This record gives sequence, C-alpha cells and structure tokens, in this order.
Amino acid sequence: MKTFTILRALAAHFGSLRATLAGMALLAAAALSYQVEGMPATLALGTALGLLALNLLAALVKHPAFRRQLPLLVCHLALLALAVLAGLGRMTALDGRFELLQGVDFDGLLIESSAGPWHRDRLAELAFRHDGFEIDYAPGRRRGATRNLVSWRDAGGAPRSMVIGDHHPLVLQGYRIYTSPNKGFAPLLTWRPSKGPPVTGGVHLPSFPIHELRQSREWSLPDGRTAWVMLQFDQTLIDPAAHAAFELPDPHRLVLRIDAQRFELAPGERVALTGGTLVYEGLRSWMGYRVTHDWTLPWLLAAALLAALALAWHYTQRFFLAAGARPPRAAMGISPGARHG
Amino acid sequence: MAETWLLWAALTAYGMVALLALPLPLPSARGSRPPAHLLASMALLAAVVLHTLSLLSRWRTLGHGPFTTMHEILSSNLWSLALVFLLSWWAVREVRGTLPVAMLVLTTLGLWLLLADARPGHFPPTYATPLLYLHTVVGKLFLGLLLVAVALGAVPVLRHTAWGRRRCAGLPDDRRFDELAHRFAAFAFVFETLMLIAGAVWAQDAWGRYWAWDPLETWAFLTWLALAATLHARATLRPAPALHGVWLFGVFVLAFLTFFGVPFISTAPHKGAV
Repeated sequence: MKTFTILRALAAHFGSLRATLAGMALLAAAALSYQVEGMPATLALGTALGLLALNLLAALVKHPAFRRQLPLLVCHLALLALAVLAGLGRMTALDGRFELLQGVDFDGLLIESSAGPWHRDRLAELAFRHDGFEIDYAPGRRRGATRNLVSWRDAGGAPRSMVIGDHHPLVLQGYRIYTSPNKGFAPLLTWRPSKGPPVTGGVHLPSFPIHELRQSREWSLPDGRTAWVMLQFDQTLIDPAAHAAFELPDPHRLVLRIDAQRFELAPGERVALTGGTLVYEGLRSWMGYRVTHDWTLPWLLAAALLAALALAWHYTQRFFLAAGARPPRAAMGISPGARHG
Repeated sequence: MAETWLLWAALTAYGMVALLALPLPLPSARGSRPPAHLLASMALLAAVVLHTLSLLSRWRTLGHGPFTTMHEILSSNLWSLALVFLLSWWAVREVRGTLPVAMLVLTTLGLWLLLADARPGHFPPTYATPLLYLHTVVGKLFLGLLLVAVALGAVPVLRHTAWGRRRCAGLPDDRRFDELAHRFAAFAFVFETLMLIAGAVWAQDAWGRYWAWDPLETWAFLTWLALAATLHARATLRPAPALHGVWLFGVFVLAFLTFFGVPFISTAPHKGAV
C-alpha cells in the first residue's frame, strides 16, 4: 500500500505539466549543444527525450482527463512514437559515400560511412551501374539540374534503367542512392604486364569544376610503383559567363610521370615500361554518390503527420466545435484544472 | 520594370497604412467605424493587391517564385504577413484594434526590403519540387498566424501604460484578447509543425538526410519548442494576459530571427534562400 502511494506521488510529480516544461528546457539545451563542438549532444538529446517520454507516460496514468481527450492523446502518443522511431533509426541506419566510374558496376564498397550497430549491410547486392551524366550550369558556374543515367537488373533479372539526380534518388532494396556535387574526369588505363592478365582501372581526378586547376593525382600501378597523371587541355569547359553543360575535354592529353620518365598520351596510345605496357584507353567521368538506408522513414513521416493532424483536430474541436456549448470561461481556456495544450 | 513600379506602389500603400494606424483611435466595441480606420483597411487591401501583382510580375519574368534572394524572401513574407493579417482582420473583429502592432513588423520588413538587392538569384535544382511550395505556404501561414497572435497579445501589454489604456479604451477586456491570441498561436503551432515535416521530407530528398541539426534546423526546432512551451505553460502556470502576450512576443522574435537571420549567417549547406 505504501509502495503504491509512493508510485502515485512519483507519477504525480513526473506527470505534471511543470515537469513537461522542465523537460522542454532540457530538450532546448540538448538541441543547442549540437552547435557546440565536443558536447555529448546525442546523449543529451536522448536523455531529454527519455524524460519527456516518462513525463508523458506518467501524465497518462495520473490524469484521466488527458486520456479522455482523444485527439490530444493521439498527438502526444504520435510524438512519443516519433522519438522512439528516430532512436531506432539511428541504431539501424546507414549513411555512406562512394564514387563510381562511368560504365562500372557498384561493388558495395564505401569511401566513408557511418552505420548504426544494428545495420545489416546488403550493399553488395545492389550492383547498379553509372552510365554517364549531364549537368547544366547557369552563368557564374551555378550548378543546375543533374541527370545521371543508371542501370541495373531487377529481382527477375530484367534490365532496368532510370535517370536520377538532385532530389530524385535511386531506391534499391531500401537503399536510397543520391548524386552529389562531387564529380569529375577519370582517365581509364590498362596495365598489360609481361606475364599475367591485364588490369584496367580508372584514376578519379579531383572534382571538377571546383578543382579545375588541380586535375592531377598520384596513382599506384598494380606492381606497386607510383605514377602521377595529369589531364591537359586548353578548352574552357564551363564558361563562367554563359549557360553551359558538363562535358569531357576534347582534344586532351594525359601527362604521365613514372620515376624520372615523363610521357604525354592521347586516347588509345601506349607506353612501354619495365615489366609491361601501360595503355591509355580514354577519358570517362566519375560521379560521387551518397547512399542512405533508414527503414523508419515512412513510419516517421506517418507519426509526424498524425501528430500534426491530431493537434489540428484537437484545437478545431476545442475552439470551434465545443466552444459554443461551453460557458464562456471554459471556452476561454481558463477553467480550473491543468490541461495539456 | 512593371514589377518595380508595382512594388513601390505597394510599399507606398503599406506606408499609408502605417501612418493611418498610428494616430488612429481604435474601433470601439459598439461597432462604430471611424473614417481613418476604414481608410487604413482599404489602404491595406490596396497594398496587398498591388504587392500580389508585383510578385506575379516578377515570377512571370524570372520563371520562378520569390524563393531565392533576401529581396524575394522579404517581399514574399511582407506580402504573406499582410495577407494573413488582412484575412484575420476581416474574420475576427478584435484583430482590427491591433493594426498598429502588426504595422510595426510590416514596416520593419518594408524598410529592410528597400535596402535589399533586387537582382535575381539562382534557382537551385533542388528547388524544383512541389515540396518547396508546401514548405513555404505552411511556413508563411505559421508566421502570419503568430503575428496576429502577437498583435492580439500586445493589447493587454499596452494596457499597462497610460497611453495604451487610452488607446485600448472601449475594446473588449484583456481575457478576450488573451483567448484569441492563444487560439491564433495554437493554429500557428500546427502550421509550424507541418512546416518542419515538409522541410524534413524535402531535406531527405535533396540531401539524403531528414534532420542534421544544422543551424537553421536547430533554431527552427527551438522556435517550435518555444511555442510548444508557451502553449503548455499557459495551461499550467495560468499567466496574466499581459505576461502571455510577452511570451508570444518572445516566440515571434525567435521565429523572426530564424526566418530572416539564421539562413544568412550560417555556413552550413542548409542556407534557405542563399
């Protein structure tokens, strides 16, 4: 009996609107902590949301009037579901980046990623191909629409393709794949060793046009030697003074430096090196992608919309439908007894 | 060019409303309507009509709506705040007594608009989505309804001064203004919630994440939280109408800074119009 009394007192304490206000203040501080580097913002947010959830559950137990106001109850429960879903999403979601050479299938490997501890990686099953892109530029090199053609095979093995870009992602098995502003040129090189099979690969040069004057990078040959390549062209590819589109430079040369030797290659040309021959196959493009996976997205949207619509329902009922039937003081929201909202 | 002339004509009309609003005796509860008050309402209607034509003219010339520059954001928000206030004026009698308060905000935006660069901006590819219109419309409804709530909530505050008591004599009592302010704030909260939802869906499509606590998202959330706290606090702390009015004013200041301040000082990719 004594325990029950203590529990009731605790519920009254944690279920009060004053406790709600304290929880909100804590939530505000947690939100602000995201703007300060080094703060345990996620922990603070989780704590604040946890306390508010406790406050809501206690309020449901303590205040029968709250349970009777169905739209308000639905709104608060939807907010609770939103917080739980957002937490679950953090535990199971993936956010990663990768780059893909034109004409090559995605192999499931990411350059960088952050994933929740419960995320099950199925990226290797995606195997879509980047088939090239078009990007418009307005004067001042302001990026316009991106149209990236991608292709893949569906579950039945039938070939499929679509154009993605900007806010149109490719959605495969729950993974959402977005184009990014990072893209550029990739010289395609084949190393034909004296013994053994040839190896072909692309060297992703720095993003264009943002690194227009730095179109070079080091690259490792399959035998371990370091090579340095640079793309050389005289064309103004994206005229800052006019409307333009992303295009490959034509003509162009590839400058290749290995040890003390320097070569200039046009597409299709080759150079004999110690241990084999290096062939410059031609120039391709590469595209940087962002891939995300979060199964909670549709549920989050449903919970958020439910909360907003239930709140609208509650206020409509209270101010317009019930107001006429109530005495004036009650309609003005000053009747005795604490109420939510 | 037509757009510029129409905008100047609209701003002149807003200026007339402001001049008419300040010396006006407020409409009495008995229903008399002083000529200056009628003039102010007609001038506000004319301003909104001229402003609508100006915005439509610019939209037609540029091929996109007023979403990309500070000039466009200020202009479209001045228009939407004036429109929501005008509609509230028409629908709720008590709102007519709060014109001077609303005109303070509208005049601030109008003067700021005069200083803003009117050259067209770049329409980013991620703006080519219906979510832009949904996010913008519910956002404007939120700010407009909150402005009306603040204007109503200001009457009990003004009555704490001798000047305010003289000006507000004959108007309904503070509790009526407090209740109406609460109602407008409640629906502003619903639209703010919808604005955050539409923004999150848009961010998911545009950037691959629905929420990342960048400065604009953080301050938009804090505004939402402040309004939620105000609605809850009114129920539990039972503030005097004047104190409730002050709280609403605080929320409006936060919303105003979030709308017109944070996007222009933030270095995050989420920069609103920039």
